[in-house]
Amino acid sequence: MKKIRDERLILKNLQNTRIAYLIQTVGILGILGYDLVTKGLDGMRENPLWLAFMITTVISAYLSMSISADHENNKKSPKKSLSISLFVLVIISTIVGFFVTFTEGFTIIDGVIMGGILFICGLVPLIYIYYLRTKRQDENFVE
Amino acid sequence: MENKVRIARIQVNLTQQQLAEKIGVTRQTISLIEKGKYNPTLKLCLDICYTVNKRLDEIFWVEKERDEK
Repeated sequence: MKKIRDERLILKNLQNTRIAYLIQTVGILGILGYDLVTKGLDGMRENPLWLAFMITTVISAYLSMSISADHENNKKSPKKSLSISLFVLVIISTIVGFFVTFTEGFTIIDGVIMGGILFICGLVPLIYIYYLRTKRQDENFVE
Repeated sequence: MENKVRIARIQVNLTQQQLAEKIGVTRQTISLIEKGKYNPTLKLCLDICYTVNKRLDEIFWVEKERDEK
């Protein structure tokens, strides 16, 4: 098979892939929804489709971050946005860790671990969006 | 988008198929561009111009519509 070089067909191909992806997502959601109704939340999460769905959702969220970084107006400096988000993240992780510690059956170590996990999970997208914003600013300055 | 690809192509005695082969796209794409139903990228516009020996503005320039806001 010859490689398609026609730009119109490449574009059309991408649009077709998007339609297929949409249908696939609807199918996955349908299957997971059926599992949710018949087997409950835990039964649904045992289905490997759940993992596939979550991975695709996370990847699509990360990819759309680069679009929103370009779309937003860049009046605020990336450093300021990063410090505000970090502050909010630290507060949220601390509160969650604090509540876990004082929940019956959990020790202070569980609280620290829970808060730490939450902090790291939140830190990754924050750093990524900071990287995107600084990169975009550098691109803007080259004029 | 309106353009003068068809006129320029006939001036250099090329069929849609020949022009398409020279540029490396399909005949359908050339046909859609001539009808104004497909917006080619700047790269493809340039390729067309090189092939028919015209400048970009001679083929693709359209006057700004006056009644536009």
